[in-house]
Amino acid sequence: MSVNGETLELARWQFALTAGTHFLFVALTLGLATLVACVQTWATLTRNPVHARMTRFWGQLYVINYAVGIVTGLVMELQIGLNWSGLTHFAGNVFGSALAMETLVAFFIESTFLGLWIFGWNRLNRWAHLTLIWIVTLTAYASAYWIMVSNGFLQNPVGYRLDGKSLVLTDVGAVLANPNSILAFFHILGGALVTASFFMAGVSAYHLRRGHADSEGFRRSLRIGVGVSLPALMFTVTLGGMQFDIPGQSEQAFKSAAFGGSAEEVARVQADLVARFGPGDYLPPAALVDGAATLMMAAWAVMMLISGLSVLLMSFRRVVSRLRVWHWLLMLAIPLPFVSMISGWVYREVGRQPWAVNELLLVRDAVSDLSPGTMRLSITAFGVVFAALVVLNYWLLARQARRGPEGVALGAPTAPDERPAPAAVTF
Amino acid sequence: MEMIAIGLLGFFVLGYLLLAGSDIGVGMTLPVLGRADAERRVVIAAIAPFFLGNEVWLVAVVGLLAGMFPDLEGDLLSGLGPAVVVLLLGWIARDMGLWSRGRVDRRSWRVFWDGAIVAGSWTLALTWGWILAGVLAGDVAGPTPVRAVFAVVIAAVFAVHGLAFAALRLRGPARERARTLSGPSGEGATFGLTSAALAVLGVLAGLRLPLADTVADAGTLAFLVPAVLIILPFLVGAQAWVWWIFRHRVEGPSYL
Repeated sequence: MSVNGETLELARWQFALTAGTHFLFVALTLGLATLVACVQTWATLTRNPVHARMTRFWGQLYVINYAVGIVTGLVMELQIGLNWSGLTHFAGNVFGSALAMETLVAFFIESTFLGLWIFGWNRLNRWAHLTLIWIVTLTAYASAYWIMVSNGFLQNPVGYRLDGKSLVLTDVGAVLANPNSILAFFHILGGALVTASFFMAGVSAYHLRRGHADSEGFRRSLRIGVGVSLPALMFTVTLGGMQFDIPGQSEQAFKSAAFGGSAEEVARVQADLVARFGPGDYLPPAALVDGAATLMMAAWAVMMLISGLSVLLMSFRRVVSRLRVWHWLLMLAIPLPFVSMISGWVYREVGRQPWAVNELLLVRDAVSDLSPGTMRLSITAFGVVFAALVVLNYWLLARQARRGPEGVALGAPTAPDERPAPAAVTF
Repeated sequence: MEMIAIGLLGFFVLGYLLLAGSDIGVGMTLPVLGRADAERRVVIAAIAPFFLGNEVWLVAVVGLLAGMFPDLEGDLLSGLGPAVVVLLLGWIARDMGLWSRGRVDRRSWRVFWDGAIVAGSWTLALTWGWILAGVLAGDVAGPTPVRAVFAVVIAAVFAVHGLAFAALRLRGPARERARTLSGPSGEGATFGLTSAALAVLGVLAGLRLPLADTVADAGTLAFLVPAVLIILPFLVGAQAWVWWIFRHRVEGPSYL
């Protein structure tokens, strides 16, 4: 199958933009769900109103980000069938089952119970309500796991047999335990915790700098954020490093070679692929892959410095309340994990090019046979909508974060003045 | 195994049409049901606890298509092309409207997002009408006047379905409005009828699809079908818990 070159380029750009954006939402959601669940556990155990307020405040920020993240995820889900039907034709038997499991085992339960958590506040028994946020968190992890099973298969296909023109699933266990999936899954979990912990520390620092009335809640939140960030950073880098050592993978070999900047090694990988698959360019853009990896690790190093310093500072109560320079530093550090996460994503996904399924299916053979006109319509529409969603999300998040716990609607008891107005009042 | 796979797909398709059909229908009729700003917020509270759990039925359908009918998934979605894009845009507008309207306390803000809810819901219903009409005609690509008329009729079924649901969930003047438009037989009967209509549409559309010919390889089904059957009671149980908690009529505004 040979499709129009413009369709291919547009489909790639659309996937990169939508998947990259979705990934940034996931990074915060996945980590923040965990921290909210922990804070709510403490609130439920101690019945301390400070922790109850913290749960509602951080929970509200989590829900805002989740809601926008979910619609970007819907686009992802349908886009694969829409733009990449070559992939579903070729690898659907293997790759599709992980997507199916993700929707049913993880996402279905996550959404159902998240709705119950949001709207069942003050209606459910507090232990049942606590159980809900933990189920939501664990199913979010499960969702990430299944997505990484799909993605890991594309990076490092295992447990399949080539039957004519498509793949057949032969070993479920191998697909589920693909080291490429498992390591990346934990690496991303760690990264999500880093993202959420820097977010929590930075937002708390903002309020402490301004001398917020609920300083106790924000002092505690800042300590949670800083305290989680250091182990999360170390966990993330360990799992990242382990991915270099997965044996027998050409894309991994290339990624290592490109990152190491060894031209000889890069040439050797290319020569090896030409020998096996015939003439062609089998290398991704080395500068982009190398640059993304460098940026990811540089951001990590800066975060490590900030986190290490902050762990020392946070043991002094007066410092936590008063040291404005540090508050500024923590606030300015909020974007760092996002930079690191997206660079890591570029490193992983661009590093796999030009393969859709490594060494089995080229990206150009995976794209749907759509007209460039349809693709232009689709990328324009989703490009505009995603830009609007990103602006809306971060504006709402910043606004809610600045307002602090007073203006939180999540879990608020219904005030009498919010009762429905009489029918006579119309406009 | 193949029949079970088809049955599972049908179960989730019907679940989506009946459940999400009601929240889409309420969104379509929001300006009729809620005349004032505060009243609309209460109307939205009728669907608030459910819409997130309703729309995941469609996500599950797409997941099952990808896993159990991979060839059909690719052909169907890319064959529908622009309709899928429009469906997604309507879905995004509706959801962002629901999530955003209560986040800023300003009248113009809420009016804007209420508009997004209504426009998004209509887009969803009309696109479903368009898609279902195309599948029933056996030609997902060709636009014809008959198909357009059919799409409008199906969208109207969604709207009446939503009105009946609203009548079952609301009180006071909003409920009266929902009932008037639902017909004299009572909202329960109307809801039953519209549910049956949507279910019949779903089944007929399913019969037109080459499901048996596109089912995944036996090795894949041997893993997926038992896994889905095991998880199914938990999924239905989770949803049933939500319906049980929110079985009473709406008393006031919700988080949205």
